[in-house]
Amino acid sequence: MTLVAGVDIGNSTTEACAAEIGADGEVRYLSQALGRTSGVKGTTENVVGVLGVLRQALAAAGASPADLSLVLVNEATPVISGLAMETITETIITESTMIGHNPRTPGGIGLGVGTVVRLADLPGRAPGQPVICVIDETIDFEDAAAAINAATARGVEVTGAVVQADDATLIANRLDRPIPIVDEVTLVRKVPLGMLAAVEVAEHGRTIRTLANSYGIATVFGLDAEQTRMIAPVARALVGNRSAVVVRTPAGDITDRRIPAGRLTLLGEQASRSVDVDAGAAEIMATARRVAPLADAAGEPGTHVGGMLSRVRDGMSDLTGTPLAEIRIRDVLAVDTFVPQRVTGGLAGEFALENAVALAAMVRTSKGPMELLAEGLREALGVAVRIGGVEAEMAVLGALTTPGTGRPVAILDLGGGSTDAAVATAEGDVVSVHLAGAGDLVTKLIDAELGLDNLELAEEIKKFPLAKAESFFHLRLEDGTVRFFDTPLPADTFARVVVLTDGGPQPIPSRHGMDRIRQVRREAKRKVFVVNAVRALEQVVPGGNLRGIDFVVVLGGSALDFEIPNLIADSLAEYGVVCGTGNVRGTQGPRNAVATGLVANHARTARGGTGDPEAESCPASR
Amino acid sequence: MVVLCPAAVVDSPLVREILAGLEEEGVPVGVATTDEAGPAITLAHAAARSSALDVGVGVDTTGTVCVHHAKLPPESAAVSGTAAQARVLGHNAARLVTGIPFKPVVPLPSEGDRHGRSV
Repeated sequence: MTLVAGVDIGNSTTEACAAEIGADGEVRYLSQALGRTSGVKGTTENVVGVLGVLRQALAAAGASPADLSLVLVNEATPVISGLAMETITETIITESTMIGHNPRTPGGIGLGVGTVVRLADLPGRAPGQPVICVIDETIDFEDAAAAINAATARGVEVTGAVVQADDATLIANRLDRPIPIVDEVTLVRKVPLGMLAAVEVAEHGRTIRTLANSYGIATVFGLDAEQTRMIAPVARALVGNRSAVVVRTPAGDITDRRIPAGRLTLLGEQASRSVDVDAGAAEIMATARRVAPLADAAGEPGTHVGGMLSRVRDGMSDLTGTPLAEIRIRDVLAVDTFVPQRVTGGLAGEFALENAVALAAMVRTSKGPMELLAEGLREALGVAVRIGGVEAEMAVLGALTTPGTGRPVAILDLGGGSTDAAVATAEGDVVSVHLAGAGDLVTKLIDAELGLDNLELAEEIKKFPLAKAESFFHLRLEDGTVRFFDTPLPADTFARVVVLTDGGPQPIPSRHGMDRIRQVRREAKRKVFVVNAVRALEQVVPGGNLRGIDFVVVLGGSALDFEIPNLIADSLAEYGVVCGTGNVRGTQGPRNAVATGLVANHARTARGGTGDPEAESCPASR
Repeated sequence: MVVLCPAAVVDSPLVREILAGLEEEGVPVGVATTDEAGPAITLAHAAARSSALDVGVGVDTTGTVCVHHAKLPPESAAVSGTAAQARVLGHNAARLVTGIPFKPVVPLPSEGDRHGRSV
């Protein structure tokens, strides 16, 4: 009876299992453990993490490292992912020609047209021309109202106001004559003085009708047909607003510019092709399919995509210690997304949703120093260490300990850095593939699309359901159910969408409602994992035809997600594939497949089976 | 909405700012004075209980402002702050009624960098 342990070192997680192997090769699994991978996968930095996980697993089995006969380590395939994102459009307002931030509490109702004048200059203004007042935050709301009333009494027609502070309602309530007022204009000093302007505020629950209409603006400013054509984007940008300001500047407008992001060159083994990044993800992926299999990818120097891929390569080179010239990008996944960005030239901190492309790249570096790692482990433990075999084959063996599985079988391993697939035939041959784009990309997409700038929060939103406080003592979850609390919820969760993390409800600092955040979360998972599940299986299934397989076992940390396995199963169902989450050894769910496979493979070899030609043993006593 | 404070404070700039925040958000308010010298939190809870909207603001002679809700336990107010934050607290008292997220309270220099995202 020998005590052995199998260890799987992943990009993010290290897993181990401990088992007893009898003289007849029978395996009795005792325990398992998992922990964070220390350092970069496949390097000696992993030893610390491995030791921790091993001790945990052995302790759970009532044993210690001294009792071990052998440790089996996977051939940590040196596959590492990087990712980057670039916006490919931008919105620019020139000459401060419009204000469209839609503040919560504008004042007054109606449309006012006049020449832009500072409040301080009102007393010197002669009657005759209608004016629009600009009021900065140094002026108290009572003084502002008094000044406007005084001017009106003198015969100066004040038809509207633009205010820096959140004072519109306060000022409007104190005026003798009601006028529309737009407030919370942060850069009020940039509103061009002396120009003709229009201020419009709609009633509660309604939207503006004049300034959101090209012909409305044309009427107000007396524009001809050509000038109306130029002003059309301004009107379009204001559709749906409850309030707005438009200034008649000589050449000002609002434009949606396409940022030339550069050309991406995809080098296949036989041919290479280039594609403009701003052509979008579909075009990039179609180009990648045309040159498949990919040997390398490069971005046009001096462009955004060139910068993106340089950063990815530099990062990989630093992480693995491989010279930059040896880095080869073996797979890319491009995803279209929208990112909220500040509008250039905006006067009130306006945001617009810009198109962006996210790129995940997978790098295969030269064979990692596994021998060094094994040596380090042997020294630390005083136990024999053997590099046990190809990760994909071990994963298949582990997956096959799931009740109800049999060969031929296909597996999908959904990790943080890569999405892997393998197919094992009835004869035992295994074909595998590693693709870029997995859990980390999903988190990045959620972070970018919600404008969070907080990857940790994005990760929580990915993993946990949403809810909203309906009172201080109860939350309504996204599925409609209610959760009650004994102590009142904190004030910062009030009226906000929260994510129900293990540490309690976490407020999400975003204007989006629950439905929108849920949609962003599910779309991010679909754009990465559903796309990659199909892409990965197509590359390992005979003939690339997904109808050729009947069963797929889903493994990996991301298979524990509450939505991802269902999203994948739904989309694979249309190919007639039965897709289910693995249950390694009938108890571990989708985890511990490789660690279990290592032990199972060793036991099979010990029984005098076909042996494992890929196994390399470390020079240590067995 | 009820604002409850000692008579000595009722005409102060502090109370004016609270009322401005409430008026800007469009929530009706009544001001009441009291002879009690209780801390802001006690006054706020009493104000909340007497308000038809279940929300009240209490101000005491030290310049502390407290926003409370009739359904909250007396010792846990919704928000509280100092005189310098009176305007924002007025806004937030109103938002407690209208059900929209609070405005961030601008941190005072002595409190260091407390993050407040403006959304």
